[in-house]
Formats: sequence, C-alpha cells, structure tokens
Amino acid sequence: MAAEMGLARSSRHWSRALRRRLLLLRRGTASDGCGCQNEALTSSKEGGDLGVGANEEEAVEVEARVRALQRLVPGGEELGTERLFEETADYIEALQVQVSAMRTLACLLDELREKRG
Amino acid sequence: MEPRGSSGVGSGNSGTYTPEIAKSLRFEEEIQSLIDPSFDASSAAGGSFTALLGLPANQAVELLHHPGPGEPPASAASSSPTAGDLWRLRLGEHHAATDTLRLPFGCSSTFEERAARFSVFATDDSPASSSGGGLSPGLKAEPPDSDSQPTLPAPVGKPRRPSKRKECEKSKAKAVAKKSKSAEENTSAAKPAAEENTSGDKLPYVHVRARRGQATDSHSLAERARREKINARMKLLQELVPGCSKITGTALVLDEIINHVQSLQRQVEVRHLPHHYHHSLSLNNFLSMKLAAVNPRIDFSGLDHILSAECGPLAVDSGCGGGASDPTMWASDTAASTGGIRRMPAPPQIWHLDLVHPQQSSTVWENNGAAHPHFLLSTATSLVGYDPASSVILNSNQLKTEL
Repeated sequence: MAAEMGLARSSRHWSRALRRRLLLLRRGTASDGCGCQNEALTSSKEGGDLGVGANEEEAVEVEARVRALQRLVPGGEELGTERLFEETADYIEALQVQVSAMRTLACLLDELREKRG
Repeated sequence: MEPRGSSGVGSGNSGTYTPEIAKSLRFEEEIQSLIDPSFDASSAAGGSFTALLGLPANQAVELLHHPGPGEPPASAASSSPTAGDLWRLRLGEHHAATDTLRLPFGCSSTFEERAARFSVFATDDSPASSSGGGLSPGLKAEPPDSDSQPTLPAPVGKPRRPSKRKECEKSKAKAVAKKSKSAEENTSAAKPAAEENTSGDKLPYVHVRARRGQATDSHSLAERARREKINARMKLLQELVPGCSKITGTALVLDEIINHVQSLQRQVEVRHLPHHYHHSLSLNNFLSMKLAAVNPRIDFSGLDHILSAECGPLAVDSGCGGGASDPTMWASDTAASTGGIRRMPAPPQIWHLDLVHPQQSSTVWENNGAAHPHFLLSTATSLVGYDPASSVILNSNQLKTEL
C-alpha cells in the first residue's frame, strides 16, 4: 500500500483517485461505487464527437474504447475525453517508469541471490 | 511627402496618436502655408490639432470635416468666432487652390479623412486603439476610393461627414467581417476576430454585423477547437505507445493504447476488475513475482506489523527464483524454503492464518485486487517495512495451494 501510494504522486488526477481508492480499501470499506460512479457525467461531457472523420458507427466504436480506457485509468470515470487522454498519457508514463524500476530491482536481486548462493 | 504620411499613419495604429497627429500636424502646417502664405506656422507649435489651428476643438473638427467653404454644420455655425469664419473664408478663397493643391498631393483628401477620423475619435472619446488598428487597413483601402474623386467639389463636405463616418465604420466592419469570414475557414483567426469584435463594441451596428457573422460560428469554432485539442492529446498518446504512430484511425489507436495500459498494469500487477476474481489473478506478472521470490537478506522486523495487519503474509521465500510463473512450483518452493531463514516462522503462521481464515484472505485479496496494488515498490517496501497490500502475491500462492 505504501508503494502504491508511492506511485500515486499527488499532482495528477489519476494518482489522487488511486490514493483515494487505496485509502478506502485500507479502511476495509469495500466501496464498489468507486468503480463506476459518474458515468452519466462522463457521457454528458463526451458529446460523442471524438474523431475528425467519425461516422455514426465509428463514433460508437470510439466511444466504447474511450469508456474502456476510462475504466482502466484510475479516476477516469469522471473525466472528459480531453482530460482523460492527458491522464492516460501521464499514467502510461508512470507505469512505464515503475515497470523499468521493477525490472532493475529484479535483476539486482537476482544478482544478489546468485552471489549469495 | 504623401507616401511618408500614409506610411506613418499606417504604422502607428496601436492607439498612440501622437506620431500620426504630429505628422498630420505637419501636413496641416504645410497645407496652411500653401493656402495662406501669411499663416504663421510658429503658432502651430502646440501639440494638438486644435492648437495648430488655433481654434477650439469642435471647430477644428468642423474644419477638418469641411475643408471647403461649404455648409458648415449648424453646431459650428452657432458658435463660430471670427477666427473660424476667417479660417473658413480662407479655405473658401483658396478652395480652387486647394483643389489644385490636392491634385499634386494625390491623396490629401485621404489625409483629411484620416484627420477627420482621428478627430472623430478624439471627440468621441472612444478607445479607438483597435479601431485605429482596424482603420489603418481601411485607410489604406481608402486612398483609391478618394483618389477616384480628385475633383470633388467642396460642397460635398456635409454629406462627406456622415459618409466618412459610414466609411470608417464600414471599413471597420469590413475588416471585422473579413476576419470573421476568414475565421470560418481558419480557427486560428478565431481569437483575433473575437478580439476585433469585442473592440468594436463602441460602434453599435458594426458590433451587430460582426456578431451576426460570428454567432453561428462560435459553436462550431468551439467544437473545432475542442476537437483539435483532443486530437492533439491523441497524438501525444500515439507517441507514447510504441508502434502507434503508424496506425490510422481513432478506434484502432485507442485499441492499442488500451492494450498497452493493460499490459503495463499486468506487469505491475494491477487489477481494475471490480469484484469477482478468485482465480483471475493469474500469475503472469513476472516482475512482481520475481521480486517476491527474490528477497534474500532483508530485515523482517516489520513482520509483526504485517502479520497484525489484514493479510499479513509477505512476499516470501528466497528459494524459488526465476520461473515464478509456475504456481505449483511456487507453492512447493514456499513450503520448502520455510526451513531456510529466520523468516521461517512467518510462513507457517501465514499459512495457518490463511487456512483458518480463508474467507478473510480471499476477501482481502479481492479488495487488494480491486485496489490495483502496484507491486514494485510495494514488495521492496514490504521487505523493509510493512505493507499489507503486498500480500496479494502470497495470497495468490496460498489460494493456489488451497485449490
């Protein structure tokens, strides 16, 4: 949990949402409302015109993917499309940093272990 | 001389009239000297039109508006001192001379119009900075118009005044309308057009005109701006996600982005599924498992905290390393490694805990799964300190063994 908080830097919406979620869970209150709270809000914000050359079906497809992305990014449910993309970019960066750090750590620990044994 | 004057006027269009006025003052002096050789230019040392002409402001305006001896407007006529009359007379006397003088100047009428506009704005006391700016293109457009009428007789002065007003307003409206029209095609011009529009508030029907042109556009402009913002963000994401820049089509690009995020989350062992997944946490999260597997000589003084917390079990065992993807190996290794280290008491306790309270652990696991634990630092810190969330790894092991 502390590590997750470590990932959840405060300057970003998704990180704040992540922290909120962590705190909620730590307190044991399994609130499942956090998963899908403001869908209505989001749908009203989106307006449906994402792509420049979007027809009806394409717009629907794009919409579906945007919703999926919202579910993936912590705190994305409440965000409009533009903000969602911003948060996604930052989230991806943070995840990549974390993954590379993990890899490094794993390698180091491997080496240590091998040296030891 | 004339081109100098026009260029000067055109360049200084941002609201500071003094250079233009100074230049036009010089023009006035020259014209006056031409018209009336006895005119004393030194008296025009003052810095304003009125001082130059030696007349009160309104009369100077009138004179400017009606350079000929034609019908002076009623207001001026009512309060005209002899000096003004003299001036008008002088102008009337030399009307022919002025006409002829105008010809060589070529655009002196434009100068008068310019002067009239400046005076108009001076008297109107309007913030004509942008109006001046809007005027200069209009002014430059004007010379051809006025040049086409070189021999305009003086009596046109009176209609000239309202026509001048209309002209300047029309030119301004033209400028604004042009800008609003170009804004239809080009969103980047939207803001300058908007500013031009707001600056034209003072002249009412110009305002209405421009607004009409823009009212229908504002929505589409906003829409277009929004869409462009979103597309810019999409491009950013495309650059972030490897291999996305070649893909065309919003939906496909979004697909790729989603896949990338999911894979990253999986690597860090993050789960965003809401509720039910006892077995869904498949152990393909190499990194976290690897880290969990490899923690040789790390202090476990924090174990107590861990055990006392919801789901105490740590990421355990030094024994099993790499092939962490094999759950059975995991289980066996964890079992086997218990003998090795001072952490020995922990796993059995944990096991015990788990067996005794399977539901608790599973619920905790669910909670943790829903919490999307990020495990890199979690494992590291759990090794060092206490971190109940990292228990997911061991929980998964335990669940596997339970199964």
